[in-house]
Amino acid sequence: MPDERFESLRLELLRSGVNPVYVERTIAELGEHYCDLVAAARAAGYSAAEAEREARAALGSDRAIAAAVLAHPELLCFSTRWPRVAHCLHSAALIGTIPGLPVIFCLEHRPELARWGAAVGAAATLMGAVMAALNWLIVLPY
Amino acid sequence: MAQTNPPFLTGVPELLVLRMLSGREMYGYEIVKAMRLVTGEAIGFGEGVIYPVLHALEKGGALKARRKSVNGRERVYYAVTTKGRRRLEHLSDEWRRVSTGVNSALNGAHGDPEHA
Repeated sequence: MPDERFESLRLELLRSGVNPVYVERTIAELGEHYCDLVAAARAAGYSAAEAEREARAALGSDRAIAAAVLAHPELLCFSTRWPRVAHCLHSAALIGTIPGLPVIFCLEHRPELARWGAAVGAAATLMGAVMAALNWLIVLPY
Repeated sequence: MAQTNPPFLTGVPELLVLRMLSGREMYGYEIVKAMRLVTGEAIGFGEGVIYPVLHALEKGGALKARRKSVNGRERVYYAVTTKGRRRLEHLSDEWRRVSTGVNSALNGAHGDPEHA
């Protein structure tokens, strides 16, 4: 139930590139904190509606909490902290998959495989260098 | 050359959290209550901002967290590690050094700056 109250905060954190592990932990802990605040307000004599309002105000606005999370770069995803490196690694993995799959299915034809591997390796290196250069120059906005 | 103190300027929440947890493990709500009590509510903040501080300290190895089910509620308890204790000592020293300097300035230990 409390988690639904923080849905907009959860989406904002995910959109901002916060590591999903920390997003879910933050939302879960905020939910527990909210329940404690409501219980304390109820014990102090507030009505249910007032207690919920007080609890939400005590936690602070979604914007303030999101800003506090984003102030800690270590809680962000790797691809958000290092977008260029992430793009390069992603491209390298894709290029590595192209020659990798045929190799698995043609292991018995080793001489042909070696020639083909050398040719594909040279092409992949050239292509990889071009893509790495492009990745370095073009950074997608988050 | 004068020492700069960026850890002090940005490290007050970390200092308070580490100090609260230096005695015993606590969960977020308990930490906030303890902070309000010991500071006489002098420091105002939205209570939700405590969690990024806790997570960042845990990520940095200053705290360790463990889940514990208490009366059907899932709590995340935080405790200070050895690295956290060292960080607390460092931040405390920084705080004392800077607050001594500020107090000195406020008390006019070096004379009136307008006539300096």
